[in-house]
Amino acid sequence: MNGLEVSDLTKRYGRVQALRNVSFSVAAGEVFGYLGPNGAGKTTTLRIAVGLVRADQGSVRLLGRAVGEARARESVGYLPGDLRLYLDMTGASLLNYGARFRPGRPPVLRAQLLETFGLSETDLARRVKTLSRGTQQKLGLVLAMQHDPDLLLLDEPTIGLDPLVQHAFRGLLRELAGRGKTVLFSSHVLSEVEAVCGRVAILKAGEVLAVETIQTLRERVVRHMQVRFAAAAPATLAGLPGVTRAQVSGREATLWVQGDLNPLLRELAGWPVEQLIFPEPQLEDIFLGYYGPQESRHA
Amino acid sequence: MRSVLQRLIDRYAPLLAAAALLLGLFQFLICAAVASVDVGGAIELLISTLPPFVQAAVTSQLMGGLTASGLIAFGWSHPIAQALGIAVAVVLAANAVAGEVEAGTIELVLSQPLSRLHYFGTHVLFAGAALAVLSAAGVAGTVVGQRVFSLPPFAPVALLKLGANFLALVGACFGITLLFSAFSRERGRAATFGFLVALTSYLVQVIGSLWIKAAFLVPYTLHHYFSPREILAGYANLARPMAVLMGVIVVGVGLGWWRFRRRDLP
Repeated sequence: MNGLEVSDLTKRYGRVQALRNVSFSVAAGEVFGYLGPNGAGKTTTLRIAVGLVRADQGSVRLLGRAVGEARARESVGYLPGDLRLYLDMTGASLLNYGARFRPGRPPVLRAQLLETFGLSETDLARRVKTLSRGTQQKLGLVLAMQHDPDLLLLDEPTIGLDPLVQHAFRGLLRELAGRGKTVLFSSHVLSEVEAVCGRVAILKAGEVLAVETIQTLRERVVRHMQVRFAAAAPATLAGLPGVTRAQVSGREATLWVQGDLNPLLRELAGWPVEQLIFPEPQLEDIFLGYYGPQESRHA
Repeated sequence: MRSVLQRLIDRYAPLLAAAALLLGLFQFLICAAVASVDVGGAIELLISTLPPFVQAAVTSQLMGGLTASGLIAFGWSHPIAQALGIAVAVVLAANAVAGEVEAGTIELVLSQPLSRLHYFGTHVLFAGAALAVLSAAGVAGTVVGQRVFSLPPFAPVALLKLGANFLALVGACFGITLLFSAFSRERGRAATFGFLVALTSYLVQVIGSLWIKAAFLVPYTLHHYFSPREILAGYANLARPMAVLMGVIVVGVGLGWWRFRRRDLP
């Protein structure tokens, strides 16, 4: 049984087509990335999955149950993208509030999560409105995960988390997946999805462009590489392995690179390279891989 | 459901305690005023100086309003008592849906294993209990005031009816505001609509009872179906007024639920 099954999901808000025939499934023990720019429809999909928004067409099944059943959410943990907590509650009372919804699933992971996120007793004793945005986000994550859910739906979970906590969080997700839990990780940042997910669905303007393994995605993504040579840039750059396009200006060259980098790096090593800049790939680079330069500009 | 109920109790306990205390105190003070200032006696003395046919006309117009029970009943129609009851009803209803949507917390609650029916039903039940406590506090203020100031006591049935009629009135305000709340994304807007309906009802009822040309509007107000003076005088038939107010509650809550169960959130 899949942890999450999304079939032919379609949603329209007035004239805006939020989702169009979105389908994918996530197996138990899988961390699945849901990648797309802001406004692509990621949040709408997740809100349909937890029953907040009604689909015009299609269905979502959570651990084999239809979304409409409140019991389907018994074993689900959900972190909203736009997390809003009760500001007048203390952190501890908020966590207890969440726990009372599931009398059959005690908050067995709470202590571990508090330690992982570095939340102290002092933090929990304070009212939520006095906590920083990052601490509120950590509290939201504990709330979503404390009952050791079988399915985790996380909408942009790392917003506001510092890099060390992000790293620990990714480790935690891998550990959960190792125990057979299903995780949907929605993000607009390619690198964090690459770091933790095994497969990914790429969403653009409400449509799934592709569902790929991270390996395939890496091969297809077109990335920019900027190279500065000690002398004039060679004219043969466009023909190098993996280079799909090259733009040369004096000693500097911009290369659009796809697939395995090693053959290209070996070739470049034959020239006197002064500087090589290879920035984090952006979503734009993914769309470039699927659509080419013209279409990707509209992403 | 238990979690939502606990949250509502924690959130509204101070407001409810304050409103109940104020309403009880207000009704107690009305008794104190009735006992210490013999307004009725003074006016009756003035009336006795009038010619007999004028006396008859004035007395029939006042319909017992100058008695102790009539003046205590006035305490229940007084704008302060009305404002207290309606404010609590409107705040509870406006926050139930629109308030949670505006704060964004509805997403947190309804993503839990909780059906919309349980969420909505818990808010309605809590409001019913809270408004009942408020009504009981007002009645308790009247009872204690009567005993402390040695005023003639009312029959328990009359007090029960008074509390029930007040509860139905503020319940109707809750139902109407909840309907607005179920359609709205802003608690302020839902509360404003609720208050406007209650205020209009109160003013039209007052104006209609003073100005004959506006009298035809009175049966269309909620306050027409709230009759503390008749109840305390012991000659009120509450069946129709209660049916009308209960009908408003059922329609308001029912349409609110119809909207809430279908709407996309937040």
